Amino acid sequence: MAVFRRGYERYNGPLTGTAARLLVMPRFAWERILSHRFVVVLLMASMFWPLACIAFIYVSNHADTLLGATGVSSGFSKMLEINGKFFNVFMSVQVVFGMILAAVAGPGLIAPDLANNGLPLYFARPLSRWTYVLSRMIVLLGLLSLVTLIPGLLVFGMQVSMAGTTWLSNHWSIGGAMVFGFLLWMVIVSLVAITSSAYVKWRVVAGALVLAFFFVTAGAATIVNQVLRVQWGSLFNPGYAIGFVWSATLGLEPPEDGPGVYQYVLSLSVTIVILGAILMRKLRPVEVVS
Amino acid sequence: MNSDVILFENVSKFYGEVLGVNKVNLHIPSGITSLVGPNGSGKTTLMNLMTGLVHPGSGKITVRGISPFAPEKLMRIMGYATQYDAAPRGVTGYDFVLAGLLLYGYAPGEAEKRAWKAIETVSLTQSAERKVAAYSKGMRQRIRLAQAIAHEPQVLILDEPLNGLDPLVRAETIAMFRNYASEGRHVILSSHVLQEVDVFSDQVILIANGMILAEGEIKNVREEIHEHPSQFLLHCQEPSRVAAMLFEGGQVTEVKLDPQGRGVLVLTRQRDAFAEAIERIALSGIEIDGVIPTDENVDALYEYLIGGGR
Amino acid sequence: MSPLAQIWTIAKLEIGRAFFSRRALWVYLLALFPAVIFIGHGLDAKIKRDRWTGRSIASPVAIDSLSPGMSPEQVIEKVGNPQDNRTWQGRHRVESKDNDKVIIEKTEMRSMFYFDGTRRNDLRFENGKLNRISKNQFVSFEEDRKVYAAVFQYFYLRLAIFFGCLGIFINLFRGEMLDKSLHFWFLAPVRRDVLLLGKYCAGLIAASVIFGSGALISFCAMVGFQDPTQIQSYSQGEAAIHLGWYVLSAVLGCVGYGSVFLAAGLLLRNPIIPAVVVLLWESINGFLPDLLQKLSVLHYLQSICPIPAPVDDNVPPVLRMILSPAAPSSAWVAILGLLAFTALVLFAATHAIRRLEINYGTE
Repeated sequence: MAVFRRGYERYNGPLTGTAARLLVMPRFAWERILSHRFVVVLLMASMFWPLACIAFIYVSNHADTLLGATGVSSGFSKMLEINGKFFNVFMSVQVVFGMILAAVAGPGLIAPDLANNGLPLYFARPLSRWTYVLSRMIVLLGLLSLVTLIPGLLVFGMQVSMAGTTWLSNHWSIGGAMVFGFLLWMVIVSLVAITSSAYVKWRVVAGALVLAFFFVTAGAATIVNQVLRVQWGSLFNPGYAIGFVWSATLGLEPPEDGPGVYQYVLSLSVTIVILGAILMRKLRPVEVVS
Repeated sequence: MNSDVILFENVSKFYGEVLGVNKVNLHIPSGITSLVGPNGSGKTTLMNLMTGLVHPGSGKITVRGISPFAPEKLMRIMGYATQYDAAPRGVTGYDFVLAGLLLYGYAPGEAEKRAWKAIETVSLTQSAERKVAAYSKGMRQRIRLAQAIAHEPQVLILDEPLNGLDPLVRAETIAMFRNYASEGRHVILSSHVLQEVDVFSDQVILIANGMILAEGEIKNVREEIHEHPSQFLLHCQEPSRVAAMLFEGGQVTEVKLDPQGRGVLVLTRQRDAFAEAIERIALSGIEIDGVIPTDENVDALYEYLIGGGR
Repeated sequence: MSPLAQIWTIAKLEIGRAFFSRRALWVYLLALFPAVIFIGHGLDAKIKRDRWTGRSIASPVAIDSLSPGMSPEQVIEKVGNPQDNRTWQGRHRVESKDNDKVIIEKTEMRSMFYFDGTRRNDLRFENGKLNRISKNQFVSFEEDRKVYAAVFQYFYLRLAIFFGCLGIFINLFRGEMLDKSLHFWFLAPVRRDVLLLGKYCAGLIAASVIFGSGALISFCAMVGFQDPTQIQSYSQGEAAIHLGWYVLSAVLGCVGYGSVFLAAGLLLRNPIIPAVVVLLWESINGFLPDLLQKLSVLHYLQSICPIPAPVDDNVPPVLRMILSPAAPSSAWVAILGLLAFTALVLFAATHAIRRLEINYGTE
């Protein structure tokens, strides 16, 4: 029997941790996404609304000084109040930029890997499907934070710095609700973007699908409500459901009719599960003949 | 206007800031012409320019008197098997070939007959009803070939057509090229392996970095490159003495003893002077059994030209 | 082979993919969704009518005599037992003015439901007092036609046909570029503009059949479950004309949006950006000056719809932005304007396709 000399020896040196490996993919993806002019323009445009809100906070906290001796009427004072409603409006406007950003940047994350049969290359590394998805989601979460969470905390911080600790002790829950609300929104939008990306494989069509997901579900829910004369149709509208949950966590008065916050939370959970299931089904390290 | 040749007149093509081809002048007669060059040298760009898939930044191209900007005329006489691996989504091999024929204008019955004939020519009859996306690399190559020849074009352009073919199909394909060429048609193909095409090509066009380095029959190309050092093996009785005599004469660039003891290996740039030197050595009484060129093959030429010379 | 014959050959080759690809499934879903909901509405109305008429039917006169402030007991005494009776505890957040703190107030809530043969009557009580009476026709043909008009204009034209055409028409060229198979078409003995028109026809036939049928089916579903006498009088009157305008509007939507997205797929590497721009443009169109309003596909489509869509207060803010009335043009101006706009866009697209090069590396 021929005996061959064993010349192969595997690498025995230190390896980086899972977290470090996880961040390899986002690192390059961020660089690529931020090199797009449209993304940069969008990021810049998304800063105007927070600046306007900060200006409003300044006016609100210095109304007496700014209006001088004329004083401030109680109605006007109520209008200038910084409360849950103010942050709800701030968040609602800011997420529009986030949605466009997700539609532009999100589909490029998975679609090219699938279209060019690149997944087997990733899965040939010590990388599970979940890790792969997580790494792709981190890219979007990071990017969306730039237009949502970070400006949100900045606006909240400005209000705290101007209104003082008394306001903070009474309204700290608004800050928490905003962080929770933005996180919830970012997770769902990221999931929609990467699921669309995995579902259609084509970057451009996936972008359209992200927009279509929110617009068409909103339209479809309205049809259900209008035609059937019900309110539960809104449960099929993830955009409205997120808004409803925000309103509840920000302490705003919910509409009298229709589903409650727990039903909306349930509908969002079902949406997440369905999106996750589609994603896992599509992300397979095989070449699909079409 | 010359209607039997493919003409490139001072053609340049840039992809943004990246050079595709630069100031190309070509006159390609009918027969088999091989475009040879390393990857990224501009072979596919030349083919895409001929077929109108890309447009020249400057210069003019005509294919048998037709401009590539008139696909409705050009594609009646041309078949192009591209390097692109994909076919339209979801089509079978048969549908792929048939669609081309229907667009050509054949009636459905005639198109079907021709599609089957072309598929048979490339030995894909058994797999014709399978989706192209499920084909192996070689099969995709063959179905593209079938699609290019199905309407029996006068100009057949093939981008790396022999890649992935098994020996039998390869031999049949080459025989088909020869047959096409013998009927006065153009067969233009590309390869980065010169010895693969030199045996059946009527002429070669050597290209590197978007520039045409040489054009014509391999033998003529070889002769035109005077500066190219040629290597010979001198079978002789007294190698050391012969080497010394050659050095004294100054006609050689390099002389070394053949490691296998057959004689002397000589490298020279002056072939005529070297021939005279050998004559003198022979007349001096040293027995010379033979002079064999050791690099009169395409590899040496290719290496010299593409590699930038020694 | 004449250019027309070539256009038809190209269309025939493409049309199968437009109709039967797996990706077309969601286009069918978009087109047929309103029909499904209208069918559901019809079935739901029939089931509910059977159920409510099986129980006690309230007197319409008694219902009309109810006034705010009455107690539940007084209402039951006057109208009888309700079909549905629910109680729950409401919570209201109230911000205290003194110390900026939030107080939660509890309210006893109760709702009752009566059916009087034609109307649904919802009564709402707060802390034992009637504070809201809502009376709605159970099934109103007039109302259903308005709802259909709203669904058609706000969902069908603005969203379903918009996104459906985006998917179908972008697929024709940009999709082939992404699949690296466009060169196959360019190597056919066909003029590029003829190729463009052939592909456009394929997309148009597919989109028109899918969305035209969707409009037709949903219209029939809306009408089909109404009272037979009303159906008869409507079908002898305006039904065919209304249906014709709706189907024509859907087809013209495919004509207009199809040309826009075909051109976008040729002119731009990422057609999503123009898609977003077109969507926003169409959304804000109603707020623009008259002249600018006419530079919108939607303006012409809405102009030929037979019933103006009502603006609904209950629409969420995201959709409310889309809901903006446009000043209508006359039907002929609308049709000719739309066709002229399409011809202009296709003309620009033919220029683009003649210049188009195969360079998949940059996709």
